[in-house]
Parts: sequence; C-alpha cells; structure tokens
Amino acid sequence: MAKLSAAQRGKIRRLSQPKELAPDEEGGELNIVPFLDIIVNILIFVLATVAVTFTSTIETNPPAGKSAGVRSSIPQESLNLTVLIVNEGFSLKAQGGNVAPGCLGVGSGLSIGMRGSQYDYTELTKCAAKLKGSNPAYAEENQVQISANPGIPYAIVINAIDALRTTPDGRSPLFENVTFGVSK
Amino acid sequence: MTETAEKVSMPQYKAALRRETRRRAHEPDINFLNITAMLDIMTIILVFLLKSLGESAGSVPQSDDLRLPTSVLRTEPSQEGVIVTVSKTQILVGDNRVLKLPSRESMVQSGVGASNKRNGPNDLYITPLGNALAKARKTDKILRQKKGKDPTISEAIIIADGTTPYRLLIEVMFTLGQNEFAKYHLMVMQSKDKG
Repeated sequence: MAKLSAAQRGKIRRLSQPKELAPDEEGGELNIVPFLDIIVNILIFVLATVAVTFTSTIETNPPAGKSAGVRSSIPQESLNLTVLIVNEGFSLKAQGGNVAPGCLGVGSGLSIGMRGSQYDYTELTKCAAKLKGSNPAYAEENQVQISANPGIPYAIVINAIDALRTTPDGRSPLFENVTFGVSK
Repeated sequence: MTETAEKVSMPQYKAALRRETRRRAHEPDINFLNITAMLDIMTIILVFLLKSLGESAGSVPQSDDLRLPTSVLRTEPSQEGVIVTVSKTQILVGDNRVLKLPSRESMVQSGVGASNKRNGPNDLYITPLGNALAKARKTDKILRQKKGKDPTISEAIIIADGTTPYRLLIEVMFTLGQNEFAKYHLMVMQSKDKG
C-alpha cells in the first residue's frame, strides 16, 4: 500500500482539525444569562425581604348604644355577658348584675383586677367559663358585648376578645360572637 | 523525487482524510450548564409571587404608623369589603386619605375633634370619613348587585393600629354603620400566644 507523503499528512492533519465555534455561534441562542442573573437576584431579594405575615379577621357588627344593645337572638334565659375594659382591669356584667371581685357571685367592684401592670386575661377566661357553666341554659350562648374606656388601646380589646373566645384548655368555645358597646 | 514516489492517489488521499476527520472528531465540550429552563421557571415564580403578594388583602405593610394587634385566631382573613385603615396619624378609605388624626391624648377626650364631627365633639359621626364611605358604598352597592350579593348592606375590612383608642374605633364603626356598612372584619395578625 502506498504511503502518504509528508505534505499530504500535514494537509490531512490541518483539514481534519475539529472546527471551533465562534462565541456567538454557541448554542445558536440569544445570551440571556446576564438578564436571568438579575432576575434570580431580585427573586432572592424579594423572598428575603418580604416578611410573610399571616392575618386573620374578627367578624363583628355595628356598635350598640348603651340603651339599645344589639343582640341577634335573646333566649328567654340568657347570660347577656358584657365586659367593660377599664384602666384598672375588667368589669363584667351578667344577667344577675355586676360580677363581684374574683368572679365570686354578684356584687360591686371590679371583677378582675390587673396582675401587676398587665391585664389578667387568664382570669378573664376562667371567669367567663365559670359564668357560662353556671347554668345549662347558657350553654348555647356565644355572644358577648365588649365595651371599654375611651383611651383603651385596640390591642387590649383584641386580647380580651381572644380571652373570651375559648375555655382555658382551648377546647370548647365560649363567646365567639362579639359586638361592641359605646361607653358614655 | 522521493516524495513524488510516496504520493498516493487522490481517492486514497481523500479516504485517509475522511478517516482522520472521523477519528479526531469529538463531541463538543459542554463548557456551560444550560440553566435557561430552570431560570424560566424561577422568573415565572417571581412574577407569580409579586402579583399574589401585591393583590392579597392580607398583605398589610407593617410600619411604625400602622402595626396590627395580634390574635390567636387562625381563620382565613376575609377579602370582602371596603378597606378602612386607621393608622396612628390618619384614616384612609381604600388608598385615599380622608382625615389626618390629632394627637392620641386629644382623641381619647373627643375622638377626631369637633370640627370633623356632625354635631359637636360628643357626636360619633366623622363627617369626612362619612363622605368618603358614602361614595364607596355607592360603588360597592353596584358591585354587590352584579355579584348577586345582598345590596342592602356593605361590608368593611377595618385595619387599625394596635394603639388606636377605643373611642376612635367606635367612631369609625359608628360612621360605617351610618353608611349602611353592616358587617365588619377587624384585621389582626396571627400569633401563637395570647396577649
């Protein structure tokens, strides 16, 4: 068999070299990598900065005046619980009248005082549960009227609503239906 | 002379060239990872996130002027209703400011002030808020009719700062009630602990 000459071997070597693609020919697509880099950065920035807060809403109706309490349904024998938030604590009123201090029967005075400088929501829950459990006729009642002194912050009112929502163990509902009263 | 003697014929030369080309040919090196498809997905996620966050009624920007109170409630926030925002310094209906609020001490005494009331300082009706709500009610009434909901009432989402005095809260609710808003959704932030 005839052998290739040196010139032919050189030519074959040169011609058989794999062709390198020019940078703009690679993949044949528009180079959008820098653009996508920016997008990824924005995505990470948005995810890191947006504080995901979970919100909820408490349903209620227009406030009731002192004389015209709006109660959606009043059974014959009802507790008619009203919680007044004052600067010194909670004053509770039920069918029998003012709830006495310490949630012990009927009597004058502040039903639940402050614990230190804080409102005692635990006692409020206990007292509401006690009042609701005092008569089987109150078992179905779920409405409470909340009223407060003019300067009481909204957050305190919401905490009181939370405290009245379920029993201390959190298993049974107490007063989930809230209406607001106008304090004069 | 020697070279001429070794020179092969053209077909043989071409065959040798083809052989050599095949031998040296190799798959092109992957010198970059093609992540375009993945980045397409990420772009879609980004657009989706931005859109959903912006449109959600539950997305309330928290600032020093407006910090929602916390609640143990775990229910889904209601999306239905005209949004009334009560911050430390102003009242808004939707995105429009209707009233600049006085100092907190003043609000405890007489709410938003006699000049903004219908009948003096003891009245609960806030006139500028009432005017804005009357307009909002008209629009909402038509919307509710179109949606097949009860058009005789409207609903309101109240977004109020945690420090809002009870007096102001009642004034806002009373004004809403006077403008045929009969159901309110008080927006709160979910929290694990009571208080």
